[in-house]
Amino acid sequence: MREVSVIFRRELKSYFLSPIAYVFGVLFLSVLMYLAAQRQIVDGQQASMQAFFGLLPLVFLFFLPGLTMRLWAEERRSGTIELLMTFPVRIGHLISGKFFAALAFLAVLLLFTLGLPLTLATYGSLDWAPVFGAYVASLLLAGAYIAVGMFWSSLTRDQIVALLLSLVSLLLLYAFGFPVVAEWIAGFLPTWGVDLLSGISPYKYFESISRGVFDTRDVVYYLCFCGFFLHANALVLNHRRLKG
Amino acid sequence: MIEVERLRKDYGMAHALRGISFRVQRGEVIGFLGPNGAGKSTTMKILTCFLLPTSGRATVDGFDVVEQSLQVRSRIGYLPESTPLYGEMRVDDYLRFCAEIRGVPATKRRAAIDRAVQLCGLRRVTGKNIVELSKGFRQRVGLAQAIVHEPEVLILDEPTSGLDPNQIIEVRNLIERLGQEHTVILSTHYLQEVEKSASRVIVIHQGEIVADDTRDNLVAQMPAAVVSMHVRAPQDALQRQFGELLPGRALSIETMPDGSLRVRVEVGTGAAPVEESIARLVVKNNWSLLEMLRERSSLEDVFRKLTMSAPQAGESAHSATAEEVARA
Repeated sequence: MREVSVIFRRELKSYFLSPIAYVFGVLFLSVLMYLAAQRQIVDGQQASMQAFFGLLPLVFLFFLPGLTMRLWAEERRSGTIELLMTFPVRIGHLISGKFFAALAFLAVLLLFTLGLPLTLATYGSLDWAPVFGAYVASLLLAGAYIAVGMFWSSLTRDQIVALLLSLVSLLLLYAFGFPVVAEWIAGFLPTWGVDLLSGISPYKYFESISRGVFDTRDVVYYLCFCGFFLHANALVLNHRRLKG
Repeated sequence: MIEVERLRKDYGMAHALRGISFRVQRGEVIGFLGPNGAGKSTTMKILTCFLLPTSGRATVDGFDVVEQSLQVRSRIGYLPESTPLYGEMRVDDYLRFCAEIRGVPATKRRAAIDRAVQLCGLRRVTGKNIVELSKGFRQRVGLAQAIVHEPEVLILDEPTSGLDPNQIIEVRNLIERLGQEHTVILSTHYLQEVEKSASRVIVIHQGEIVADDTRDNLVAQMPAAVVSMHVRAPQDALQRQFGELLPGRALSIETMPDGSLRVRVEVGTGAAPVEESIARLVVKNNWSLLEMLRERSSLEDVFRKLTMSAPQAGESAHSATAEEVARA
């Protein structure tokens, strides 16, 4: 655990040392808040955070690959991976440290959005339980996206390639969660294939948790999803040791 | 301390290491010499557990680099080629990170970092970001990072490449000091570096060890020392008389623009000094001797001889392929 925390702290600090992180943070929050405000007005809903959380899957999809693209690609391009991998630390610990640091950075950004529910709460009565649940769901969703982005980053030393691969794969995963897309792919895929693809889409699971319905199956899904991609990440790094 | 047995590493179809074996005793300073692409870095990357060998075995302090890589990694300090560092970090933060990740206990951390800073002469720059440092200072940060946890083995891949002459001398002195406390393997193409600090030299060429000996022994292996002189004399007479004086010795004569001759004669090492008889010959013929000196064979000659001999290399490459066929 010590190793994970050392890596975690270094990674998290490096976000706040780089100007890109600030640009990223400001852009992310601006876009998110602007869209949320838009929706709030157009829909004219009562005091509820649903409009805001409904935006997250798509906003995450476009922003998180930008956050994760450098995680391994940068280490490989600059060669620092050679020192990192020769520290007496298991690969799993390296991956966990980086993963949780990215997640923590996003969590810090999400903290800034707390202004929204706080404002709503002052002007009307806000049910905090679903809001809290939705924040947890957002972190789970972000974790899934980060795991995918980090996996792609481990496969290339070019950050832009990592970015594009993450974007495309996340878009596809997102799309599979929509019934329209599921119907369309049912035209040329067997039923189990359709079930599989729509089953792995993180979007579906987010819907229910973000509404405040806490189902352990959804949480288990997210943990498995992250576990799968983080493990794949470890396999890639290990394989590279063999191939050189 | 380090044992390497028939280590092979293939990158796809290319054979980077063709089954090398060597041992390093505790406290030795080993110089790895070889042209670019000879396999020095690959060997180091395997010893530091960054790469896995294709076959063969390597152990550090009795621990296998494949099976017990955590134990191996906790015993080494490593400076990779080109010194990769996290540029956005401050020097002291970076060294603290390295000490923490290397498991230096919190109570000893400050002292360990202080020692590394002191040894590497980083006192003035501890508060600076690594990106702002000159190449020489970056190199020293790289070295400080490698020694902060007082490892038993130091592996330094071309620690002086890309530095200016002053920086090279500084880093070389530093390595010499480190060599007093650690087992060191360093690779380089600067021969002076190993001439000065290494107790033993391993020459690698095309993935094989072509020499593994002390520096002095390697130099002694060189068959011929050369006596070179600058004489004013008629060329024909000189050639004939030298042939009589030193039968069977290779002689090269070059005419200088002013008509004088630049003569080089190969004489065996350990043979009786021939300078005296050459001088007498010159005087007897009433020629004039402008200069005479003995060119010592250096590690550089050894290196050139070992790594330029094409037929030898071809042969060994051939035997390696035969071995592969046998294995298949």
